[in-house]
Amino acid sequence: MAQSTQSEYVTLVSCDGFEFIIPRSAACISGTIRRMLDPSSNFSEAVTGRCVLNDMTCVIDREWIRTTRSGVLVTRFTDVGSFAFFSAVVLEKVCEYFCYNEKHKDQANVPDMDVPAELCLELLMAADYLDT
Amino acid sequence: MAAMRARNKIRAPRRGFSSVKVDDFESTWNVLSSSLIEINTKNASSLSFEELYRNAYKIVLMMRGDELYERVKQLEQGWLQDHVRKRITGSISSSLVRTQVPADAQDQSNERRAAGEKFLASFKEAWEDHQLCMGMITDVLMYMDRIISADRTKPSIYVVSMALFRDYVLRSSARADPPTTVADVLESTVLFMIQLERAGHIIERPLIRHCIQMLEGLYETITEEESSKLYLTVFEPAFLKTSKEFYQAEGRRLLETGDAAAFCRVSSQRIAEEKERCRYTLSIMTESKILDLLDEELIRKNIEEVVKLEGTGVRHMLDHNNLDGLRSVYTLNARVDKKKDALIRVVNKRIVELGTEINASSIAPPAEKDAEGEKKPEKGKEKERPVNQQTVSAIRWVDAILALKRQFDNVWEKAFLSDQTLQGSIMGSFSEFINLNMRSSEYLSLFFDENLKKGIKGKTESEVDVLLDNGITLLRYIKDKDLFETYYKKHLSRRLLMKRSASMDAERQMISKMKMEVGNQFTQRIEAMFKDMTVSEDLTAGYKEHIKRSGDPDSKRVDLEINVLTSTMWPMEMMANTKDGTVQLPCIFPREIDSLKQSFEKFYLDKHSGRKLSWQASMGTADIRATFQRSSGKVQRYELNVSTYALVILLLFNDVPDGESLTYDDIQARTRIPDHDLIRNLQSLAVAPKTRVLKKDPMSKDVKPTDRFFFNHDFQSPFMKVRIGVVSGGANKVENQDQRKETEKKMNEERGGSIEAAIVRIMKQRKKLVHSQLMTEVLAQLSVRFVPDVNMIKRRIESLIDREYLERVSEEPPTYGYVA
Repeated sequence: MAQSTQSEYVTLVSCDGFEFIIPRSAACISGTIRRMLDPSSNFSEAVTGRCVLNDMTCVIDREWIRTTRSGVLVTRFTDVGSFAFFSAVVLEKVCEYFCYNEKHKDQANVPDMDVPAELCLELLMAADYLDT
Repeated sequence: MAAMRARNKIRAPRRGFSSVKVDDFESTWNVLSSSLIEINTKNASSLSFEELYRNAYKIVLMMRGDELYERVKQLEQGWLQDHVRKRITGSISSSLVRTQVPADAQDQSNERRAAGEKFLASFKEAWEDHQLCMGMITDVLMYMDRIISADRTKPSIYVVSMALFRDYVLRSSARADPPTTVADVLESTVLFMIQLERAGHIIERPLIRHCIQMLEGLYETITEEESSKLYLTVFEPAFLKTSKEFYQAEGRRLLETGDAAAFCRVSSQRIAEEKERCRYTLSIMTESKILDLLDEELIRKNIEEVVKLEGTGVRHMLDHNNLDGLRSVYTLNARVDKKKDALIRVVNKRIVELGTEINASSIAPPAEKDAEGEKKPEKGKEKERPVNQQTVSAIRWVDAILALKRQFDNVWEKAFLSDQTLQGSIMGSFSEFINLNMRSSEYLSLFFDENLKKGIKGKTESEVDVLLDNGITLLRYIKDKDLFETYYKKHLSRRLLMKRSASMDAERQMISKMKMEVGNQFTQRIEAMFKDMTVSEDLTAGYKEHIKRSGDPDSKRVDLEINVLTSTMWPMEMMANTKDGTVQLPCIFPREIDSLKQSFEKFYLDKHSGRKLSWQASMGTADIRATFQRSSGKVQRYELNVSTYALVILLLFNDVPDGESLTYDDIQARTRIPDHDLIRNLQSLAVAPKTRVLKKDPMSKDVKPTDRFFFNHDFQSPFMKVRIGVVSGGANKVENQDQRKETEKKMNEERGGSIEAAIVRIMKQRKKLVHSQLMTEVLAQLSVRFVPDVNMIKRRIESLIDREYLERVSEEPPTYGYVA
């Protein structure tokens, strides 16, 4: 495989074109990104080290929402809707979480991360998608 | 910034895309399926993971996850059936299928081997591809897996695809007639490779390892239990079966060659090989199983034979000190048997054999001697030599045993890895043959005697230590320790009284060693003997002081050095006055000596009233200054060191005019020295060539009652001081038959006493005891000192009942009670 020496950093691209460069180890906290970058599978992301997270429109209904891991929070939703959750704002928060997670790995008494309420839903969806 | 916004309101997602069409699913699937085929053909680098993932995600969100699952399954099944299987079956050449044909023909096996390698290689490749692709597909479909298989009881797509591989590739038929599946071909090929390796060929291990890994990665069921691995269910039993056959044959073959060393070498090698094979070629899971099988088939069933093999077995190894061979036999035997019975049996047998040989070689000369000695009991000189020889042979016996012991210790340490069980059994066998020799106690004591007299001269302390330790080791083996004690005391008393001991330190060291080994009670009397010696030294000094103070001006006074011995502590039989029941009158001392004797008796009894001193002239020595009147008129003086009896005899000649003689009977009448001692003393004075102070007429070796003795004025010696030893008197040596019987009789009496004492001790404590229990306790108590004869104990119990120490309490079971 061409990617014999993996670069230490990877680039995450939001759907509105912002690029976030974070350590590979931090990004790999997400199961999806880890698989995406897995050198043995040799996908284009693994080759370039660049993950473009496209805008995601999707259909949700209540039943599905219950199945997500943090479903409790969103059960009040009855609507079927679609939305974009990889805007720069969301992805920034996601990256922040990656770094936060890596920094405080295996530690007790870690200060909570500040999560703005209006981003909650998007972050939840992102978390589900990214398998974090 | 976030704080500025409304806190509690969660924005609703934007509306739109509310309706999802069926063709949306189809189009998404089309994109996905073409990508999956790309992955299968290893063209993934052109694909974007994110895109595929997003598509799968969408489908799942459309609630069509199950459909996706089924479609992927179908896709993979089709791929495996159409492409992979074709490739694999294509690589099976006809030579691989003919498993029944024995592979002995070299060219055929080569051909088969090449075909096999080709097949394995393509199989490995197919498997690896499948694994990799399925890994990638699973990654892409991760979201589906998460939702579908986590919620419902479906296995993940990866597991399903593995099962598909098993069913559609591994279990597909390779040949129609006879029905053979690809798995069968794989199995027989791998087994064939292993067979080749066992036969010494080099095979491509990693290749096989990969195929085995595949079998390990596949399961019989979808639940993937550890025990349902295909490797364990299919391959391993087949492998173990062929291995079993192989090692059975191997065992037979090795036994036929009849070389124990080769057997051990090959077995150890096979063990190592199988270990390595499991590690590098097969699976580590098989290691313990194949080793068990090896132990069972190759070793356990054959070890007995191997150990006993004539000419090359353990016996041969022991005799030739083949440590490596023994070590491998030991390790092999230890593998299959914790107790190592087979090895122990042979080693023990050999030790006892060697020991008996040593016993026989030490006993053989005495047998001749005894016969000779009985024929001519009077000819002392004739008897003399064999007796010395016998002493030498006793010492040689001990040395031989020590050498044997050293040899086996060496073997035990180096070859048997200091194994506890073996040590015990080796000790047991030593003890067995040492006790087979009736005279072991005596011989051992003689060994100590010899070493303490001469052996340790010029040796360093540590050497002496080692020497004594060796002796003590043998003492440990001797069962009748009381017998040893008797002999030791006897020999020790001679050493002490005749001042023959080379080093008192060594003596003390010896005693402390015995004390550690056998216990306090054992050395009590021996220590008392030493105490007597020191007390006597003080006494002698005190007596000299006393004489000086009393101011006796007699310049011709004889210096006296006295040893006062406590009669119970010393072996009195050797100095007993009685012989054959008749009381021997005490020896008549010459005037000078007699006055000295009386003076000392007075001195001693003043100090300790109520004691009786009995003089043991046979044990003493004296220094005399003798004047020889040469015929040339010159006077030659010598200092003679002689025994007390010889002193008495020589002093008689003071009163005999020159040229006159005394007959044997004269001497006997005037001294009352016992016949036995007199003969020996006269022999040393008149017969021994270097110390001929007296002349005898006729000049024969034997002393007869009619012989006449003259004072030899022509006595010549290169030294001023001449030591005239008493023939066969002073030296410690092996007893002859009569003395031996005597000792045994004494021994038995003493043992009777010990047994009675033990019985009374036990009964006093228990008050009432069943016969068998009493027996066990007595045996336990006395076993430290000797092994009592059961009949003897019975007799002693009877006698105690007669004397009303014990009473019979009941008959069934026989029980005794203690009579206070």
